[in-house]
Amino acid sequence: MLTIALAKGRMQDAALGLLKRAGIRVSDEALASRRLAIEDESGRYRFIFVKPADVPVYVEHGIADCGVVGRDVLLEAGADLLQPLDLGINRCRIAVAALSEARKNDSGMLHVATKYPRVAAAHFGARGVPVEIIELSGSVELAPVLGLADCIVDLVETGRTLKENGLAVVETITESTGRLVVNRASYQLKAAEVSELIEKLSKAVAEERAKA
Amino acid sequence: MFEPLSKIPGGMRYYFGAEARLRRAVENAVMSVFDGWSYEEIATPSVDYYALFERGMGHAEAHRAFRFTDTDGRMLALRPDVTSSVARAAATLFAERTRPLRFCYAASVFRQLPRTHAEWRRQSRQLGCELIGAGSGEADMEVLAMAVEVLERLGLAGVYRITLNCVGVFNGVAEQLALDGAARERMRQLIDTRDAAELERFIEGCASANTTDGLAARLTRLTGKRETLEEARALMTSARSAAALDALEKLWGVIESLGLSEAFEIDLADVSGLDYYTGLVFKIYVAGAGARVGGGGRYDELTANFGRREPAVGFVLDLDALTDLLARGNNFEPDGVPQLQAAMVEGSSEAGAFQDARRRRARGEKIRLGTRAE
Repeated sequence: MLTIALAKGRMQDAALGLLKRAGIRVSDEALASRRLAIEDESGRYRFIFVKPADVPVYVEHGIADCGVVGRDVLLEAGADLLQPLDLGINRCRIAVAALSEARKNDSGMLHVATKYPRVAAAHFGARGVPVEIIELSGSVELAPVLGLADCIVDLVETGRTLKENGLAVVETITESTGRLVVNRASYQLKAAEVSELIEKLSKAVAEERAKA
Repeated sequence: MFEPLSKIPGGMRYYFGAEARLRRAVENAVMSVFDGWSYEEIATPSVDYYALFERGMGHAEAHRAFRFTDTDGRMLALRPDVTSSVARAAATLFAERTRPLRFCYAASVFRQLPRTHAEWRRQSRQLGCELIGAGSGEADMEVLAMAVEVLERLGLAGVYRITLNCVGVFNGVAEQLALDGAARERMRQLIDTRDAAELERFIEGCASANTTDGLAARLTRLTGKRETLEEARALMTSARSAAALDALEKLWGVIESLGLSEAFEIDLADVSGLDYYTGLVFKIYVAGAGARVGGGGRYDELTANFGRREPAVGFVLDLDALTDLLARGNNFEPDGVPQLQAAMVEGSSEAGAFQDARRRRARGEKIRLGTRAE
């Protein structure tokens, strides 16, 4: 049996939809229950539902063999995982955004508020821009509005939240989509099961793409 | 800031009781296999010049070591690896000895910075062997055969898998695509994480992309038995890749004739540690362990750092990972002396008790003195 960690929240429905298309079904009763670990109808897969940032943790430790999680989370976690498949779900980007009417910052130091401190530090570091990273855990858009930061690095899907807070994207750092990740040991030790899953899911991804 | 003395530094731990006994038994079992193949035990300095490890392991790996300065200002490190030191000894202390040299060791290594999140330990005990001065496929097979015996001896037959690759396969592909250093490293990372989607984008951006139709998608999937080599041959045009595939095929032939092909897998997408190894690379996985428990390969360039270039091959096993794994299962039955029940020794006079104790000990009995606790 393969244990698959799914990111709860925004990605969960898209991931389950894709799995269903791949012929891996989870019953509605099981989903409606509050259990955090459930099996699919064939009993060949066990799903655990965890916070997005915890998906790489479970998979890296081999508690889950596989996981479905956004590339944004993977970049931030820097986990040592295999990522054999781009699932094409939850397409969005990690971007730098600032107030549309930017205030001049003469301090020689950029203050960046973000939930992605590693990604932000790597991005500005590669350009030699000195930054102070201010790590927040939510409502990052508020930081420039209230003067905590000059700009933010955040996930942008439609850009609506940014706009409503008077912010605009300055530049895109990278694209992000949902990825299938696999533990290194499971990839070898459960090679047949893992490659079957990859095969099924890549077919489902191609079908989704053809439909869109 | 006030830190209680009871606190233990991150990545450090104690072993005691059944786990400590198991760990000792595993170490003994592995070392006795090495001894059975005539590998001589060597103990290397725990503290050595940082420059040794930087040369031996490469900057990125050596950088993870605990470092400090000697009284003359030179930088020292708590050994993050044993192989560098063994290679130096081979080129210097053992320069005159007949080749090949066979060494084994059980030694703790220390790393201040973890490589991955799951790798929380900063001290781990390596059980390793090095075969120096032999460059043939036979030498490669010798260490693989020892690895197999060790795993079987630990009761892991049927639940381990050893993946094989040869660095020439990837280096040949990098040549084929005419990649510079940075691009080569980027492609290596993408193959290492099997990131087919990003790899496809990367190869599309390469100048010589037109010659490599279908290469990207399949590079990350070159995993399997003998047929993998055939598949790879169809994709790879460079002479370098072809030579590496030939070497693997020869090795695979021996593995098949030993009836071990179930336990082995060819994994041409295993491209970690390419700067260190020069030929065969292999990794050891065991069911129940979320990360590999060991690995090794051929490092023909290492001893050249110490003034004598000669072929070498070896591997290490992570004793702590093995102990964790075996403590959870119960496959491993350490042989040798069974655990004796202790006889309590008490006496009316102190001297009498010790007389009795010494007599029993001389007979090889296990005793426990009836010393009163305070």
